[in-house]
Amino acid sequence: MLGYYVKLAARSLRRNPGITSLMVLAIALGISVCVMMLTVYHGMSSNPIWWKNDRLYAVTLDSWDVQEPADDEHPDLPPWQLTYNDAAAVAASTIPLHQVRMVKTTAVLVPEDVAAGAQPERVMLRVTSADFFTMFDTPFLYGGGWQAAADAGPEPVIVLSREMNEKFFAGENSVGRILRWNDRAFRVTGVLDDWHPSPKFYDLNNGGFDDPEDAYVPFGWIAALELRSMGNTNCWKPESRNSYADFLNSECVWIQSWVELPDAAARASMQAFLDAYVADQRKAGRFARPDNNRLTPVDQWLADNRVVRDDNRLLVALAFAFLAVCLLNTVGLLLAKFLGNASVTGIRRALGASRRQVFLQHLTEAGLLAAAGALGGLVLAALGLLGLRALYATGSAGFRNIMHVDGWSLVMTVMLAVFAALAAGLYPAWRVGRLAPAVYLKTQ
Amino acid sequence: MFRDIRPVLSALLRNRTGAVLVGLQVAIALAVLVNAVYIVKQRVDLIGRPTGLDVGNIFVLSSAGFTQDHDRYATMREDLAWLRSLPDVRAATSTNAIPLSGGGSSTGIATTPEASSEQTVPMNYFQVDEDGLEALGVTLAAGRNFRADEILPPDLNSDRAIPQVIITKALARSLFRTDDAVGKVVYDAFGRPTTVIGVIEHMQGSWLSWDKVDHVALVPEVASWSDNAYLVRTRPGTRAAVMRQAEEHLAASNTTRLIKFVRPLDYYRDRSYLSDRNMAVFLVTVTVLLAGVTALGIFALATFNVNVRTRQVGTRRAVGARRADIVRYFLVENWLVTTAGVVLGCALALAAGYQLSRQFELPRLDLYYLTGGVLALWLLGLAAAWQPARRAAKISPSMATRTI
Repeated sequence: MLGYYVKLAARSLRRNPGITSLMVLAIALGISVCVMMLTVYHGMSSNPIWWKNDRLYAVTLDSWDVQEPADDEHPDLPPWQLTYNDAAAVAASTIPLHQVRMVKTTAVLVPEDVAAGAQPERVMLRVTSADFFTMFDTPFLYGGGWQAAADAGPEPVIVLSREMNEKFFAGENSVGRILRWNDRAFRVTGVLDDWHPSPKFYDLNNGGFDDPEDAYVPFGWIAALELRSMGNTNCWKPESRNSYADFLNSECVWIQSWVELPDAAARASMQAFLDAYVADQRKAGRFARPDNNRLTPVDQWLADNRVVRDDNRLLVALAFAFLAVCLLNTVGLLLAKFLGNASVTGIRRALGASRRQVFLQHLTEAGLLAAAGALGGLVLAALGLLGLRALYATGSAGFRNIMHVDGWSLVMTVMLAVFAALAAGLYPAWRVGRLAPAVYLKTQ
Repeated sequence: MFRDIRPVLSALLRNRTGAVLVGLQVAIALAVLVNAVYIVKQRVDLIGRPTGLDVGNIFVLSSAGFTQDHDRYATMREDLAWLRSLPDVRAATSTNAIPLSGGGSSTGIATTPEASSEQTVPMNYFQVDEDGLEALGVTLAAGRNFRADEILPPDLNSDRAIPQVIITKALARSLFRTDDAVGKVVYDAFGRPTTVIGVIEHMQGSWLSWDKVDHVALVPEVASWSDNAYLVRTRPGTRAAVMRQAEEHLAASNTTRLIKFVRPLDYYRDRSYLSDRNMAVFLVTVTVLLAGVTALGIFALATFNVNVRTRQVGTRRAVGARRADIVRYFLVENWLVTTAGVVLGCALALAAGYQLSRQFELPRLDLYYLTGGVLALWLLGLAAAWQPARRAAKISPSMATRTI
């Protein structure tokens, strides 16, 4: 039966190619704009490590000024980074299964044998703890991370991104080879495979879609090399800082801290640990604000830090308004078409087609239109996303990476197509089924 | 014209569905159009704000040493001396941060030594030398520039007092409620005094999305952030050539450092406004498409109405209606539909505007935009119905007697 309906619908659509292509175009435009905006929105709001959402927590403590919150616009949130000393105190806890403290900085790395053609490169560097790689499930192409003992030493070991390994070692297995940083020889322990978590949940300082760093070294190098953050360093307290040691001991927040807590019990004891630490610090005159010690899971962390911007929500709303106009347009055209063809329907009814059959026949036609529109819409959306990438050519690669047709876009397209078929087809099909056949038979 | 309304209206009411559909399209189109144009206008204004800087003639060069014996300050002195010796370079200074880039330093200052945090005004500061004013291309409204002997040596780790500062008018107004700040004293967080020696007409600082982006101060200090960065201002038309020349020369002049980047200042401004610009592009694109689809809907309805009334039009023509009467009939009909949509659309537009201002903290919709939107949709409606109405007018009176 369906096959017959489809044949009927196709014949009817071929009869008025002008109107048919107008309707397909309207549906395609509406669906393409929706799919584009939803793809971008979904990419921005996705959790790149969802399988560990109930295990990974960002640690934040409200060490800020008693007179004002860290962020005027969101006074309920503590500052999003820790002081150097607070991060050290959190790291001293044995409750987490894994934990990292870290900062993004920059360096110039020099290959040992410059004559071989590789040049010194300016790199973005993550100075972090040994657990970083296991905690965040980073894929390794060669080798692996470093031992926890290397953090404190600190030992001159380094993990490279795949891209940096291409630049320095032409993509060969470089484990055990040397890169020089400030005349120190750093030994490569591992090379990451492609790894572009987006949003870059573990450090949102430089925007939600900042690219991952080019290389990773143990956390102890911060103090050893007197490094500064390439992200934000926020200070509230007027305190005399006359040396790097003063800076490390200051109330400035600049260190990111994450813990992995396998279950609710671990989470509760970690929370108790933080509360006890803050209570203890109060005795020393710190933490004048009310208790606000947080363990924030990844999805909440992304929401708290407003990774999805208002503009993106607005664009999704705009896309649906546009789709509504396109569908209203299609309803009008379809109705005019069905009613214009009422005499044929009248004959069908007179020959015994039920209202239900007439309704389904016309709905099939709407479905066919929506399917064609969705196909066209998907092509337009793919082109549109290419256009978007061009518009963001100077932005971060991580943001451009979410702008392509993926499985989610396909699912959205199918859902929108079904919606479009029903929204555009239900009313006209119902109307045409209600026509009294006799009237149309008479005029013939 | 108005005597036509009654018959048109009764014809419309007898066949409502098509008109209702088009009216709804017009309503949504108006709501989207008005709010989209309003948001685009805000973004365009935001991007078009004056920077106070000679953006088109400035470039930024940053370099980093990679050996322990690399003397970054000796390198800085050599680099700046060489840059300043170029005939096409007007000025060059070292800097701790790049204006308009989204990165920079700020601190709080006040007009009394013992200020509470409410009395403290945030200030975005740039460490520059005596060439700073000229290198930025900002205008000094009052007071004087730094002298070479006032530039403090580099010192990354200390929090020392700064004897002199040059501030923008906007910062002066926030501090003293007047532009006339030369000779006045401001205090840092430790209550140590700094004298204002000059006032800049206007300058945007590091963070273009900050409401105090013009609260800028120049501080006489050799920049000491981790890597060397210079702001270089060239004579008009020579920037690209000087950039190439500088990159080549500086890369070769010192082999223990790497030139990190050489970029025109426009790069940073464009990057900072990227999402605002693109938002405007999206809104304009979707709005144009929306207007197109709506016009198509109006056109289709008018065409349909003309087609089903061929015989009626023929009859009217046969009993004496002129072509102009026929055109008017269809235009009035279409105008009624558009108007009904526009009325509904005004309510929708205001509701949407209210929601936007509440949820996204946008300013409330300006009513001029609504008026403009109504006029635009009326015109769009007339334009879309014009061709079908003209076609109706061409229907021959003889159609009255023909069966279709």
